[in-house]
Amino acid sequence: MTEPAVTARAFFEKARGGQLTAIRCGSCGELAMPPKELCPNCHAHQWQPVALTGDGTIASFTVIRVAPRAHAADVPYAVAVVRLKEGVSVLGRIVDIPLEKLAIGLAVRFRPLIGKDLTTSVGFGPT
Amino acid sequence: MRRVAVIGVGVTKFGLHDRTSAELFAEAARDALTDAGVSAGAVQALYYGNVVGGETEHQLHTGPQAASVLGIPSVPTTRFETACASSHAAFRHAVMEIAAGVSDVILVGGAERVLNVSTAESTEYFAYASDAVWEQPLGLTFPGVFALIARAHMQKHGTTEAQMAAVAVKNHRHGALNPKAQFQKPITIEQVLKSAYVADPLKLFDCCPFSDGGAAVVLASEEVARKHRKPVWVLGSAAASDWMLLGDKRDLSRVPATERAAAAAYRQAGIGPSDVDVVELHDCFTIAEIVATEGLGLFEPGAGGRAAEKGLTGLGGEIPVNPSGGLKAKGHPIGATGAAQVAEIVTQLRSEAGPRQVEGARKGLTHTLGGNTATVLVSLFGRD
Repeated sequence: MTEPAVTARAFFEKARGGQLTAIRCGSCGELAMPPKELCPNCHAHQWQPVALTGDGTIASFTVIRVAPRAHAADVPYAVAVVRLKEGVSVLGRIVDIPLEKLAIGLAVRFRPLIGKDLTTSVGFGPT
Repeated sequence: MRRVAVIGVGVTKFGLHDRTSAELFAEAARDALTDAGVSAGAVQALYYGNVVGGETEHQLHTGPQAASVLGIPSVPTTRFETACASSHAAFRHAVMEIAAGVSDVILVGGAERVLNVSTAESTEYFAYASDAVWEQPLGLTFPGVFALIARAHMQKHGTTEAQMAAVAVKNHRHGALNPKAQFQKPITIEQVLKSAYVADPLKLFDCCPFSDGGAAVVLASEEVARKHRKPVWVLGSAAASDWMLLGDKRDLSRVPATERAAAAAYRQAGIGPSDVDVVELHDCFTIAEIVATEGLGLFEPGAGGRAAEKGLTGLGGEIPVNPSGGLKAKGHPIGATGAAQVAEIVTQLRSEAGPRQVEGARKGLTHTLGGNTATVLVSLFGRD
């Protein structure tokens, strides 16, 4: 059994430094992110890490105004599904873009968000 | 495989209660057993839906807890957790067990209690049904999930906030006819459109409420069911799953798990969407009803918003959807919802739904969605 090319932990360590990482299947070429054990397309376990540019466009977004307790101080805040240039999509928090400027198709760029508890999560800001 | 029937149903009033979820389930279960005309001693298993009991009531092991509070402590019991679809998953399991010949009489139900905690707290607990590593840290909420779906549907199909509002107005109109509903008051399009945004483009009146409540149904083999006055037959019951992460879903305007579960259930029943007379589906948000009517094949993809606006899904319309008031007006005690939907369809097919009766209904469908659209169950029902 080979080690997975990218674990969630490794993903967020790289992300903290500004680098988004996907995995490409060595058997069928499927690109995936976040990491998965088996390729959802061909079920092989032959992943190779791929560095992504971090550039993408908003596929859908919302402005959250009623938040879970841990995020109550942040409202209103936007989250978006971002379609990355390479073809995979990921959910992220939108930062430094006025809420009224948000639109499907808007170009955004990855930026790491460091939480109060020092964990990293996925954010997107202006290009 | 043996035929399976629903022979008894029971539902508590939905809304604020000062009883535990197990007590709420027990009330519904006693009513269901009375309705079925079978004694508690005949029950061979209990399959139970409960979702956030660990958080709101500090109660796990809710299967035997519910059985004990009901007073049937020795039956085998399992709690099912598929977020908001939990008791529908329990229902499907019971259908298979009876069909396989393992049991003849099974009690299925569920209950939830959440109004004993604050909205911020329950919003957090419901968000536990999204991914804890990739999505929860971003502050994603369940209105947020369906807001992302709504925005994608609006972009692709031109669906409007007024069309979504029409779903809320219709379901409140139905709920006003249901004495068990949490909200029994009609509302107007203007009230929906003027309500505050929760997660744009969804407003407060696009969202179902937090609810306490319980529901139960008694399932039986054909041999037992034949002795009952009005058995309602289970024609099909199917489950489907999809990616947990929103980023992995390729087209946010669709719910592929609904399409897959519906296709499997229709295949089992040997019928299609045009054969269905009445539908109880998962309208946790108004957009969810629109997308579900499309995924179930009641309308073409993209046509669900216009259909709602034209009144095709209201009582007296082409295909009445959520005559109970749906999750929107009847309420959504998440562990109970799937069983409550079955109870409504059984009541409809027995022609016992009073002022909200869909005249002449012979075939019905229930659709329950779990959390971030990663779980869907669809079941089909028919009367003799």
